[in-house]
Amino acid sequence: MSTREQHSRARRLLAAAAAALTVSAGLAPHQAAAADGDKVLTVAVAQSVDSLSPFLAQRLLSTSIHRLMYEYLTNYDPGDAHAVPALATGWKSSPDKLTWTYTIRSDSKWSDGQRVTAQDAAWTFQKIMTDEGAATANGSFVGNFREVSAPSPTELVIRLKKPQATMTALDVPIVPKHVWEKVGDFSKFNNDNDFPVVGNGPFILTDYKPDSYVRLKANKDFWRGAPKFDELVFRYYKDQDAAVAALRKGEVSFVAGSPSLTPAQADSLKGEKNIHVNDAPGRRFYALATNPGARAANGQKFGDGHPTLLDERVRHALFRAVDRETVIDRVFQGHAVRGEGYIPPRFSSYFWKPADGQELSYDPAEAARLLDQAGYKKNGDGKRLGKDGKPITYRVLCHATDPNDKAIGQYLEEWWGELGIGVTLDCLDNVTDPWLAGTYDLAFDGWSVNPDPDFVLSIHTCAALPATPKDTGATDNFICDKRYDELYARQLAEYDPAERADIVKQMQSRLYDLGYMNVMAYPNAVEAYRTDHIKSITTMPEKAGNIYGQDGYWSWWSATPADSDASSGGSGSAGVVIGVVAGAALLVAAGVFFALRRRATAEDRE
Amino acid sequence: MTADAPSASAVKAAAPAVRGQRARTATGYLRYGAGKVGGAAVSLLAVLATGFFLFRLIPGDPVKTMTGGRPISAEQLAAYREEFGLDLPLWQQFTDYCGKALTGDLGTSYQFRAPVVDKISEALPNTLLLTGTAFVLYTLLGIVLGTRSAWRHGGLGDRLNTGLALTLYSIPSFWLGLLLIIVFSVGVGPVPGLFPTGGMESGGEEGFAYVLDVAHHLILPVVTLVAVEYGQTLLVARSALLDEMGSDYLTTARAKGLRDDLVRRRHAVPNALLPTVTLVFVNLGRTVAGVILVETVFSWPGLGGLFYQALSVPDLPLVQGLFLFFAAAVIVMNTLADLVYPLLDPRVGR
Amino acid sequence: MTTEAKAGAAGPRALAWQRRRRSAVRFWQQYRTHRAGLVGLAGLALFALLALTAPLTVGTDVSSVTGAPGRPMESPSAEFPLGTDRFGRDLLGLLVWGSRVSLLVGLLAAALSVAIGTTVGVTAGHFKGAYATVLMRITDWFLVMPTLVLAIALATVLPRSLGTVVLAIGVTSWPTTARLVRAQTLAVESRPYIERAKALGGGHWHVMSRHVLPNVMPLVLAQTTLMISSSVLAEATLAFLGVSDPTVLSWGGLLQDAREAGAVSSGNWWYLVPPGIAIAVVALAFTLCGRAVESVLNPRLGVGR
Repeated sequence: MSTREQHSRARRLLAAAAAALTVSAGLAPHQAAAADGDKVLTVAVAQSVDSLSPFLAQRLLSTSIHRLMYEYLTNYDPGDAHAVPALATGWKSSPDKLTWTYTIRSDSKWSDGQRVTAQDAAWTFQKIMTDEGAATANGSFVGNFREVSAPSPTELVIRLKKPQATMTALDVPIVPKHVWEKVGDFSKFNNDNDFPVVGNGPFILTDYKPDSYVRLKANKDFWRGAPKFDELVFRYYKDQDAAVAALRKGEVSFVAGSPSLTPAQADSLKGEKNIHVNDAPGRRFYALATNPGARAANGQKFGDGHPTLLDERVRHALFRAVDRETVIDRVFQGHAVRGEGYIPPRFSSYFWKPADGQELSYDPAEAARLLDQAGYKKNGDGKRLGKDGKPITYRVLCHATDPNDKAIGQYLEEWWGELGIGVTLDCLDNVTDPWLAGTYDLAFDGWSVNPDPDFVLSIHTCAALPATPKDTGATDNFICDKRYDELYARQLAEYDPAERADIVKQMQSRLYDLGYMNVMAYPNAVEAYRTDHIKSITTMPEKAGNIYGQDGYWSWWSATPADSDASSGGSGSAGVVIGVVAGAALLVAAGVFFALRRRATAEDRE
Repeated sequence: MTADAPSASAVKAAAPAVRGQRARTATGYLRYGAGKVGGAAVSLLAVLATGFFLFRLIPGDPVKTMTGGRPISAEQLAAYREEFGLDLPLWQQFTDYCGKALTGDLGTSYQFRAPVVDKISEALPNTLLLTGTAFVLYTLLGIVLGTRSAWRHGGLGDRLNTGLALTLYSIPSFWLGLLLIIVFSVGVGPVPGLFPTGGMESGGEEGFAYVLDVAHHLILPVVTLVAVEYGQTLLVARSALLDEMGSDYLTTARAKGLRDDLVRRRHAVPNALLPTVTLVFVNLGRTVAGVILVETVFSWPGLGGLFYQALSVPDLPLVQGLFLFFAAAVIVMNTLADLVYPLLDPRVGR
Repeated sequence: MTTEAKAGAAGPRALAWQRRRRSAVRFWQQYRTHRAGLVGLAGLALFALLALTAPLTVGTDVSSVTGAPGRPMESPSAEFPLGTDRFGRDLLGLLVWGSRVSLLVGLLAAALSVAIGTTVGVTAGHFKGAYATVLMRITDWFLVMPTLVLAIALATVLPRSLGTVVLAIGVTSWPTTARLVRAQTLAVESRPYIERAKALGGGHWHVMSRHVLPNVMPLVLAQTTLMISSSVLAEATLAFLGVSDPTVLSWGGLLQDAREAGAVSSGNWWYLVPPGIAIAVVALAFTLCGRAVESVLNPRLGVGR
């Protein structure tokens, strides 16, 4: 083998590698470029899309996108979240509240030019009612429907089996019948083959690449008026730090945390020019749920919750050893409000606070006294013993993906350790299974509360228990209390808002006393956007509200571009050039370095 | 990750496994090749079984998980179980799974409701781009620096080279990636943020601009992978060449008065190159680990990220499919290296 | 060493000890000439000292969240040279404390890995035949497995704890050792004195424990040192991916905490940089030691000279 052969072999190899690189770079499909000068709003999201079919999608990102693609019958007012017209311009119910008639607007068009009619709405609901595959995401909305019909293009009639208070809150995307009736298997169709996707919302879906981005363009014909941005892109960042860094650089205009930015991120962004941190009162409560002994509606008990927790004094003692101030101050670092009742203070009409004598305030000495009183005394090692003579250790179920769970869990270990109670923190990626099986003692729990609290209240009623241990019920943590249920039934039947709010408060009081659901905090929604990209954006509620994950499409529809043309993506080409030049320079430098070295060593040797 | 310590003797230990017996005749080679292919087939079957049973041990009822804890009746749950074949006895599920896997059907992902094969083929080009680029670069870099180091072993250059390689080898790749993001993406002090923080493309580019855009996104992840991986190649190449340099024929060649440089390029390096390249393939398993971490840190839309996402559900068909794919890729690559090795070995048949 | 030796032959036993001591001294004299090895050893000694004396220097309370002395995420100051973590704990103290878990996991995982590897290697080398073939096929199979994938899977299947991490690392990283030890075993068993021992009626156990094992021990030592290095890295990796026990304080856990707290994008480098450096330094120190040991045992490898 001669030297020349060796050289040419090496060169061929290099050429092949280069070719491979070029080819593989070209492998990924290209997509249409945005026309120059378009105003693009890029949103960094931490979730990937589960499905683009409104019949299947369940993740917040996907359902938010469906809000933008398809009009629902009704929407929520950005101010106080009362139902406002959307696809339906008006609605009325029969005296027996069993027949609801919606007037469908005649000025809404599908993006392929066809008019939107009541037929589309009727077909959508009928499909969900009759095809199990289509009921995956929104089946719960139609469970009580007897019949849906469209007597005329502007009239939709829904007949119910029994009265239902949520008929103006049917969050079901209405899809074009003429497109969707061609779909075969709804359980497999993901609506991601044909772009643009025919819709009638403020934005039209134009492109989607899994785990990369979702692109939407403004619907200029939207009946409420066209959005001000020309394009809306949801870009996926696995890592929240990367998303925040992208915001800092201007690669994206908005960062929605998952579920919110960390205190450190918020603090560091606050000092930044051109960035606004939106630290709004949240709609979530963050609680410590206790397993009251899992059971089914048929009376069958299952799970293995700790028996000592059935004693109310023990539950109260545990919560009295939880210092909510520390949780707010250290874990949330001020980006949350101290927990009181079940419903966050943001919903002021329903917000309830325990009275002075009722409050389970932080008092470790009282907690110890309660435990002593309940008969769980400390042994020689300072551990409290259960009735079986064994030291009490609780398994606390935590979400491995939620840093707050893990942090508070560590506090619990120490707080309850002082009381003589052991804690095993069970952090899982997926808590569903032990949760449904009732194989835990305590768990971190949290729900987003809707403007109408019916749903979050309903999950603690006996009716929500699973029918048998084999079913999955709507129940949150198997609470079943007669008095609570009575109050629940009363508020459902109460049509006077003030009266109803009063009953809801009584329910919260009852829930508080039971001690199965101890709210520690109401975390704020902490998000941030670039003021040099977005001039203004509607929060919900309009005064001090959140932007991402609203109950309507207000934020993205209302967002106004800033005057500067520094809208996101602008840094792209300049950055590319700089980056590529820098990379090339690095390569050249390396090459020169080796060449020089090589000559030097060669000379040494000669 | 845990594959191999950067040890010279570890390299030597793995070598016989790859080289096997030298095939001196055509029939010998055929027999050798058949043995290797057969072995690979057995390994693949073992992977098939491991993938199935290992992930069945993950706690959690896939159907309840799939429905996300929504209220659902026992009948509906049963219907889902039937749809995904989870109601069948385990052995039957296993045979079904094997039969389908052999025909290229890896089932349907629970969370995406799309065929696993589709999800894999969606992410595969992205991972190939990242891994391929890094693989080529770190192999070349490792071989060039390694042979140089060995030729002048003991010198300052060698010490610096080996030292740097060992240091980079000891750095956690995800940590290096995070630091690179801070320094070169976000920018520190006078250093402007030159590179994107993550992802593979900005979206909306076309043609050459698109290629540039992807290349721009590619730089940091590739640098991270190359930095933590080239050390292994360097050490392997270095020790292979040192080994070679002790051989009599090299002494003879030098004694003949051949120029040093020529001896190196013509005799020593080619002989040292083959074991090195072969061992680079053996270490592909380690690269898979690196890819999972780097894809996670840089939000790269590839197989590594998909695997991690699938594992947390757990999306059994997807996890199984990816596990199978990773393992099969490494096994196939290794077998190829085994088959090609005797054909290329300059000491055999030339 | 073994019980049979007690029987009486004090002479041969003393001789053997003398021989061992001599070779140990010789080993140390050669090791001393490896500068990198000495540096690594010094680094190890330092970290071992830090870890062992941690209860005295930083106190056992350093990881307490309720007794955290500072505000969350403070930047470095005279009081907290490396700042504070998200609970307001002293990061320097946590770094020192974390060395205990990181080193412990590294040591245990390496020990487990090498123990499996040695057992497989020695028995496969000694017994040969079908047993060895099957064993080596399994070894080869593990050798090409993507180990991280396997380790993540194992860590997911088992409950989150340190034991799980040790197991996941140990069970996936042994094949290299097995191959090395088997090769050495084959070499040892081909020596004439083994024949003699067998002829004199030495059973399998006798040959393996009295003749083979002492001869592969140096190699096992080198391999252990190198394996600790990769185990420390592996522990950090698993902690970073969140499959480790989140309440246990290790360097990898600190990195994961830092990331979850958003330290990367907030510019809190003092939270992120020190644990990474500590991992790298320890991994490097073990690698340097291992390479030095290796090159003393087999100078032809030309490592580090």
